[in-house]
Amino acid sequence: MKNTVCSKAKPYAAIIGAGRTNFREQWYKDPEKLLMEAGIGAVESVDSGLRRRDIQACFFGSFLYQATNKLGLVPGYMARELGINIPMNTTEAACASGGSAFYNACIAIKSGMYDVVLVGGFEKMTDGSSKIIDELMFAADPHEFDAGFTFSGLYAAMMARYIHDHGHNDRRCIEALAQISCKNHHHAVNNEYAQFRREITVQDVLKSPLIADPVRLLHCSPISDGAAGVILANPEIAKEYTDTPIYVVAGQQATDDVSLCTRESLTGIKSTRLALDKALKGLSMEDFQIAEVHDCFTIEEAMFLEDSGFYERGKAWESVYESYESYKGSKHIPYVKEGAELIVNPGGGLKADGHPVGATGVRQIYECFKQLRMEAGKHQVEVDGDLNLALCHNIGGTGGIATVHVLARGI
Amino acid sequence: MSEPMARRRILVDYRIQASRCVDCGRTYFPPKFFCNTEGRRSRMNTVDYFNSKGTLISSTVIRKPTNKFLHLGSFISGIVSFEEGNVQVPGRITDYAPPDGELDMNDFIGRGVVPRFRRLYTDGFQGLIYYSSLNFSFEGDYYPHQRYVKSEPATVNERPGIVGYGVYLPKFRIKNEEEIGLGVVERTVPFADEDTTTFAVEAGKRALIHAGIDSKYVKKCFLGSESTPYAVKPSMATVCQALQLGEEYEGGFFSGGVDSQFACKAATDHFIDAAALVAYSTFGGEYVMVIGSDNAQAARNDPLDYTVGAGAASFLFGRRDVIATLDYYVPYTSDTPDFYRRDGEKYPRHGGRFTGDPAYFKHVVTALKTTLKVSGLAPGDIRFVVCHSPNAKFPYQAAVEAGFEKEQIEHGLVVRQIGNLYSGSSPTALAAVLDLAEPGDRIIMTSYGSGAGSESYIFTVTKEIEKKHDRSISVKQQIENPHKQYVDYNTYRTWKELS
Repeated sequence: MKNTVCSKAKPYAAIIGAGRTNFREQWYKDPEKLLMEAGIGAVESVDSGLRRRDIQACFFGSFLYQATNKLGLVPGYMARELGINIPMNTTEAACASGGSAFYNACIAIKSGMYDVVLVGGFEKMTDGSSKIIDELMFAADPHEFDAGFTFSGLYAAMMARYIHDHGHNDRRCIEALAQISCKNHHHAVNNEYAQFRREITVQDVLKSPLIADPVRLLHCSPISDGAAGVILANPEIAKEYTDTPIYVVAGQQATDDVSLCTRESLTGIKSTRLALDKALKGLSMEDFQIAEVHDCFTIEEAMFLEDSGFYERGKAWESVYESYESYKGSKHIPYVKEGAELIVNPGGGLKADGHPVGATGVRQIYECFKQLRMEAGKHQVEVDGDLNLALCHNIGGTGGIATVHVLARGI
Repeated sequence: MSEPMARRRILVDYRIQASRCVDCGRTYFPPKFFCNTEGRRSRMNTVDYFNSKGTLISSTVIRKPTNKFLHLGSFISGIVSFEEGNVQVPGRITDYAPPDGELDMNDFIGRGVVPRFRRLYTDGFQGLIYYSSLNFSFEGDYYPHQRYVKSEPATVNERPGIVGYGVYLPKFRIKNEEEIGLGVVERTVPFADEDTTTFAVEAGKRALIHAGIDSKYVKKCFLGSESTPYAVKPSMATVCQALQLGEEYEGGFFSGGVDSQFACKAATDHFIDAAALVAYSTFGGEYVMVIGSDNAQAARNDPLDYTVGAGAASFLFGRRDVIATLDYYVPYTSDTPDFYRRDGEKYPRHGGRFTGDPAYFKHVVTALKTTLKVSGLAPGDIRFVVCHSPNAKFPYQAAVEAGFEKEQIEHGLVVRQIGNLYSGSSPTALAAVLDLAEPGDRIIMTSYGSGAGSESYIFTVTKEIEKKHDRSISVKQQIENPHKQYVDYNTYRTWKELS
């Protein structure tokens, strides 16, 4: 089934290859080696072959490399690693660094400037694990740091307000926000690259150590090392490289105040809504079968379900609870809405697959590329008919930036 | 953080400064120079929330803090709304240590909060110390919110004196076991983010509220202390910046002052200077602020460790709406090595029983008796006598030796409940009796600073005091505050040494 709306517009770009590393602590690998591993993986995955010299430009995304890895000039490192001397640039947009690098690469392809580019996202967080809680706060307003906030604290303030405004003292709201973790862990069990390939229960989440009330350890995505890479090509020549390119039919980015405090709402992300509004023209969330959603903390996944309009404002937790409770033991646990099913984070999302910050946005593209091509292996989503449309949602900070990309198997 | 970053942050954070669109009223924190709604040509005013009251709109308990805040353990951080959401700021809740178990954060949403000037963190032991007013205590807890109303002065006195005062005593206390502490029953303990500078700001803020004067008319500030956080860098400048003392000009203020040191009489020594300055035409200022502030230092298990407290008292001197004229002054000084701290040493040393006689008693009693002689007044002409209070016995004994009766001494012996505040000791005792004073009352105050010296002052209370009583948070109210909280010895030592 081809989506009629998508078929009217020329796609931004086509994805012809993708690679990634394991996400976990990688003691012996330098960040540029991780990026190289993912990038070369992407090159080698191209069905009809791709030479390094076919790559005309590189777009990298990373957040903390200067502070955590004492590394700068990523293009210089990657020129050395790849052995090519082409235009390269690095995008920093906190947790949306990968998504933003991908967005920039799509623009570059769409502009006609390049025919084939490499997009890579990476982060090696464990090099500076003793300072990582402090350094993640670079993505927040300094006043928030000075108020003692941590990143988990900022999301906890959102979660507390969400529970206050929408939870109605119903215990199921607390449980639903734990079920999101359980669901994502369940999805990661068969993902060979994932950091946490084990099931957890609601009680595990609710008994895990408090990090920032009401956020507990198992509501949080982990500290990870890893990289992901994809090859983007001009859609008109994509079939020279593969019979099954995955098309980027829409890509949008939107921004908002860096500070959570000055936002219009603590229980929704404006930049997500703005990016989605533009990206989904003519589409609704019910048209998607899978979505990669930025679940850095479970509250963020719940807010996405409302920001995207999939569930009514303030009601996501009820539907999450009902979806989880009606789960019958299949490989994936879909969110259900009036007969429609949406599988969110089929490989485990940030929570269980891992969250090497700058790699995440590209890893989401990788996951959807593999899923749409039915190449996801043991965690392949199985639906009636073909998988056609996927959505990737990547945010930076507490919502200071969001990218949304719509991927389609056919156009 | 670097020095220039610190300076930029100071300009915003000390007063919670924001910018407000003149046309639509939309307010921005941190400040920006145009309004998003009205456009680039909008006119913006600077506003601040230093004296405001906010509402907590969401919060969390930070249980795994950043390295910079590890010293505070667990604490609440939240988002505070002013003016019903017109502006929102991040803030940390201070004076509150959350319990170990999970808190229901619903209970905190909607609570009123009051900005507090507190220490954030330091750049190690050698680097800068950072302060901010983006710290809040719960309304209805220990620290009450007071409105700062600036009124036009009505009367001008020929003789200068006190126009307002404020005392700040921390929320936390430690109890002494019986038979130690020479009559000191309990003592004030600083929270982990307090120090001499933050006490001084709080006391100064209260003095301005009590006096009801515009801070821009305060042209000098003396801050007496022996525990300022920096060896070199004036706490007075921090107080000046936070309280906006003097006319503002490009982020600075047309006012002066110094930190001074003379053990426990570092502040009171400047009372006469303050009074003299406001009467001196070349000075050109209306008011002088004098603050005595100390996180009184003592080594672990030293006898002093059972008498020291923490807090500050601030006095504003001027000639308008004077509540107590300064009528007599007698200083007395000698080089007496009874108590000292060498540069670089953390705690003072003292001469044990010799700190009483010939040090304390010789100077205090000499100053007291000489002041009575100079003034021609008899002890019976004085309603209250106040002496520096290293403990509860010394001031009582000195006053009795000078001819005073128990009922004249009793009201100033707040040391029993707050401990020895060093530079803040006699000023706080003076404030305690001013809280009770009526027009016409005479008060004699004798300070003492080791090293050694005393000075005595006689004040006469005017009818203006009655107009200002209700603007004061009295020393008694602070001593008896039902929200004060007791801590154990280890907590007391930990918090004290962080300051």
